Amino acid sequence: MKAVGARLPRYDGVGHATGRTVYVDDVRVNRMLHVKALRSPYHHAAIKRLDTSRAEQMPGVAAVVTHADVPLLVYGHLSALGIPADEPLLASEDVRYKGQPIAVVAAEDTDAAQAAVDAIDIEFEELPALFDMRKAFDDDAPQIHHWGPIYPHFEGEMNVRQIRKGNIDEAFEQADKIIQGVYRPAAIEQMPLETQVGLSVPEPDGRFTIYSCTQALYFSMGVVAAHLQQPLNKFKFVGGTVGGGFGGKVDTATETLCTLLAQKSGRPVKWRWTREEEFLCSSTRAPWHMEIIDAVSNDGWILGRKMLTLHDAGGYARFSPYGVTKHSFHHTGAYTIPNLHFDGYVVFTNRVPTSAMRGYGVTSVSFAVETHMSRIAEELGVDPFELRLKNANRIGDTSPNGITYTDPSTVDVLHALAGATDTELAAPYSDTTREMRHGEWLPEHLVGQLGDPEDH
Amino acid sequence: MGSSAEVIRPGSPSEATSAYGDGAGAAVLAGGTLLVPDLHFGRARPERVIMLGDAGLSYVTRSNGTVTIGATTPVDALVGESSPLGPCAASIGDNEIRAQATVGGNLCAPAGFGDLQGPLLALGATARSAGAGGERSESLEDFLTDRSGRLLLDVTYAEPAAGAFASLGRPHAHHYTVMAVSGVRTVDGATQLAVVGAGTVGSRLRSAEALAGDAEAAGDAAGDAVNPSDDPLASGWYRTRTLPALVKQVLSELEASA
Amino acid sequence: MNIIVNGNNRTVESPPLTPLLHVLREELDVLSPKAGCENGGCGACTVLIDGAPRRSCLTAVGSVPDAEVTTVEGLGAPETMSDVQQAFVHYCAAQCGFCTPGMIIAATAYLEGGGSADRVEISEALAGHVCRCTGYLKILDAVAAARDGGFDLSTTAESPHTTVLT
Repeated sequence: MKAVGARLPRYDGVGHATGRTVYVDDVRVNRMLHVKALRSPYHHAAIKRLDTSRAEQMPGVAAVVTHADVPLLVYGHLSALGIPADEPLLASEDVRYKGQPIAVVAAEDTDAAQAAVDAIDIEFEELPALFDMRKAFDDDAPQIHHWGPIYPHFEGEMNVRQIRKGNIDEAFEQADKIIQGVYRPAAIEQMPLETQVGLSVPEPDGRFTIYSCTQALYFSMGVVAAHLQQPLNKFKFVGGTVGGGFGGKVDTATETLCTLLAQKSGRPVKWRWTREEEFLCSSTRAPWHMEIIDAVSNDGWILGRKMLTLHDAGGYARFSPYGVTKHSFHHTGAYTIPNLHFDGYVVFTNRVPTSAMRGYGVTSVSFAVETHMSRIAEELGVDPFELRLKNANRIGDTSPNGITYTDPSTVDVLHALAGATDTELAAPYSDTTREMRHGEWLPEHLVGQLGDPEDH
Repeated sequence: MGSSAEVIRPGSPSEATSAYGDGAGAAVLAGGTLLVPDLHFGRARPERVIMLGDAGLSYVTRSNGTVTIGATTPVDALVGESSPLGPCAASIGDNEIRAQATVGGNLCAPAGFGDLQGPLLALGATARSAGAGGERSESLEDFLTDRSGRLLLDVTYAEPAAGAFASLGRPHAHHYTVMAVSGVRTVDGATQLAVVGAGTVGSRLRSAEALAGDAEAAGDAAGDAVNPSDDPLASGWYRTRTLPALVKQVLSELEASA
Repeated sequence: MNIIVNGNNRTVESPPLTPLLHVLREELDVLSPKAGCENGGCGACTVLIDGAPRRSCLTAVGSVPDAEVTTVEGLGAPETMSDVQQAFVHYCAAQCGFCTPGMIIAATAYLEGGGSADRVEISEALAGHVCRCTGYLKILDAVAAARDGGFDLSTTAESPHTTVLT
């Protein structure tokens, strides 16, 4: 036990401080090619014609790859879990967001690659675009996705992630007050200092060494192998040095296309996105639309919650179903509410696809829940600490997805917050613990709700 | 990527003027903070680039209450000047950018930059420039209305009796200015006001100047006189409603320094 | 033309309008300055030019002939780290490390210019440098402590800003 509790130096600290750490863009390989992408200039359009023959003849161009070159065009990170995929590696029939890649060129330098991209002959038919997910359900909303306006493949082929717990109608009948709120956090770019970057090197034995900035190395390896329809042992991934990710580098943004270009050209291929591409074309945290309606008692118990969540997936699903599922499990925050009615939808729009960022699906709902808790406290005239301590998760309470908490820290965090803000808590709130509810902490609406931690 | 433009390095102001000629196909590289990345990414594709580093245009001279600032004087050389010029210069970029960016580059920058236009307009500065038709001096205000084809050489202003500066920045490492108001009391007792962030270039606020004795009315007049558009920093609506507060702040600072 | 990089005289073949960043990285294989944004917005490419911190992505190499350029490689190797480098290790001021070369260069120039341990002044000196990992406090700690030196690099320091919830 030399490490636990000790203040150890970072294993990579000296490399960082002396400029010796080798990031993907610092890897140098002989005869390396550089990549530029033809990206959609439209938010939504049909591709009527795509001809790369002129680009292929441009000076310095070694390879051009389009959808026709990809052995398995449509594959997603969640495919490995049996969840259907919807996003082509390169657009073939239509483009669903501005910046979507359609073709990539590998050339001697980025100027030559860009000149070839500019020489690709392409014709679009621009289509109406949708940016406000609240309008996706309208009859006259633009048709964006072949699956319809919302993701249809939750378990049981449902188009909604649902939570049903307790008796929601009874909770609302017993309520002294109904308190509502709508919360709409916007999209955020993860903005790592290192932009998306990859390098794929063809080896003499037919394998590829892939230098990747991925946050999820085995995910990325599986995605490359699937698109290329080759076994995993064809790929040696070199990862682990990430110049910031924050969720944005869970996507496999460059590795697959670099490898296809390396395969076609027989040369090492590096693709580093510009900051502009990172901002405009890489995934972001999703915009969310959350409506909360709570049944509360005058003395500050939350008896039941109805919640509607819309998650903006952008043009393709990517990890969105996973994000909404996590979101649904956390939609009561750090608090226990016994009667729940939650509906969450993954909505398609013509925004850049959204993906993971720092607490995927949870950060947004935590913002909504905490803001709503303060709103409840204000409307009831109850102290915000007391409201939170009353409803705080305790040992034996159950989560929205039916997990019995064995060691929840809500009470301890609230006490620490009170201490840090010099807030005097009155008894019994000052003495609350995380221990199992009993006495006045087990009000009528929680009787029969407690689980046995021993079962876990 | 990169630029294949011809590079010219004048060694004096007159060499710079003749190298610039009528400015056709030319880009001027002073500090480079705007032009170098534009060249690198191909956003600017000039035929020739005139590097002003050795052109002898970096100077601040003072004589008889008149100050002249050469076009390639770095922004950080102005940080110690009195208000509004000094505080405005100190609010531009960060210390590394201020040491590299130049006064001329800032004054000639596209919309969204050009913070120094505000104080120098309020100071009633004169701009001396070269280009087609030779060298000419005009008010900075006139210069800003048509900068194309002109090589700014220097700006000159009379030191004011008092000055004030109020800025609505953002809590960001680079403090991009949403809107800023500069105010000057001239040695003759006149009040001169200018704003940046209310249009593509800075402008004088003459209707507010005329009401300078009544800060409230002057602020309202300034708000009525502008019609700013939306950009990623702020909406035009927000700017229109913010301007009166900045004008009032500047006028009260001027009042206090009287 | 020639420039001096970390004490070594180097010949530059790149065209004069090439950003110094790309001359360093692509021609001279000096890799610590990072291409974070290439538009002067992030500070990951900052180097010392004749002792002053400058964004190498905004500097045309032709505008700094014969300049002395110092990158973080030139401040100290792993065995010979400067006090600022040691402080960054000791205070865990580098997390992903991508902004670190620029941060250390700017911090070095600040302290060599007589900068104090005042957190506001350090923040001002580092204002052009974006870090997405650390939240900046550990960086401020490291720069403030760097002047005194003498770090035990077998451990890390507790940040005075750290509040541990109990």
